[in-house]
Amino acid sequence: MNIITTRFGEIDVDESKIIDMRAGIIGFEHLKKFMLHIQDEKNPFWWFQSLDEGAIAFVVINPFVIKADYEPMIDDNDTKLLEIKNADDVVLLVIVTIRQNPFSVSVNLRAPIVVNARKKIAKQVILEDPAYPVRYYLTAAGSGEQVSIAGDYKKRDDCEAASL
Amino acid sequence: MLILTRKLGESITIGDDIKITFLETKGKQVRIGIEAPPHITVHREEIYQLIREQNIQAANVESIEKETLPNIWDGLKHMLLKDQQKR
Repeated sequence: MNIITTRFGEIDVDESKIIDMRAGIIGFEHLKKFMLHIQDEKNPFWWFQSLDEGAIAFVVINPFVIKADYEPMIDDNDTKLLEIKNADDVVLLVIVTIRQNPFSVSVNLRAPIVVNARKKIAKQVILEDPAYPVRYYLTAAGSGEQVSIAGDYKKRDDCEAASL
Repeated sequence: MLILTRKLGESITIGDDIKITFLETKGKQVRIGIEAPPHITVHREEIYQLIREQNIQAANVESIEKETLPNIWDGLKHMLLKDQQKR
C-alpha cells in the first residue's frame, strides 16, 4: 500500500511491516495502523508513523538506550491481548517529546508502546509503577531532574547515561 | 452523567462485557472492582488524562524536521557522555 506522509512524502508500505494497535495510542484511539520507520541506522530516534493519517508520527526510542535497567511490568491482561508467548516476542518503544523554547527532550517511561514483534500487534500500556515518570528528561541529564506523576521534581544522582 | 446509588457488594454493568462492583469504603476512599475484556483499558482518570496530554504534545513534532532529529541525538549523546565522564 502507498501512503502520503507529511515528513517523508509518499512511501510504499510493506504489508509485513504494518503494526496493528490493539488499543490505540491514548488520545489517538482512532489510529489503528502504524509503521516503524528507522530513518538512519546511527540514530536511535525512530519514527512511529501513522498509516491512517499521514500527518501524524511520533518520535520513539528503544528505552534501554537511555535507561538500561528499565523494567516495566506487563500484566496478564496485556500479555493475553498482545498474544505474547515469550519475552523474545516483545519490543518496547517509548514516546519522545521534543519541545522548543526552551528546548527539551523527554521520554514517557510511564506509558511505553509494547509491541509483539512476531505478530505485529501493539498497545500503549500505562504502567502501575509510579517510579517511572511520564516525562523522563534527557536534556536535564546533568541535574537528573525528572517529573513524576504527582508533578513533584525528584533529584536523582544516579541518572542513567546511555551506553553507546 | 448517569447517577446510581448502590450498596456495598452490589454491581453495575456497562454494555455486555463490563461489570463494576463496589467492594468497600474506608474513610473517603472507595474500593472498586472492575471486570472487563482485555481490549478495554481501565485507568484512574487523572493518569489517563496525563498520558493523553503527553501524547498530544509528543505528536506535535511539526517543528522538528526529519533532518534535525540526528542533530538532536548527537547533541544529547555529547551531553550524556560528558555527564558520564564527570563521575
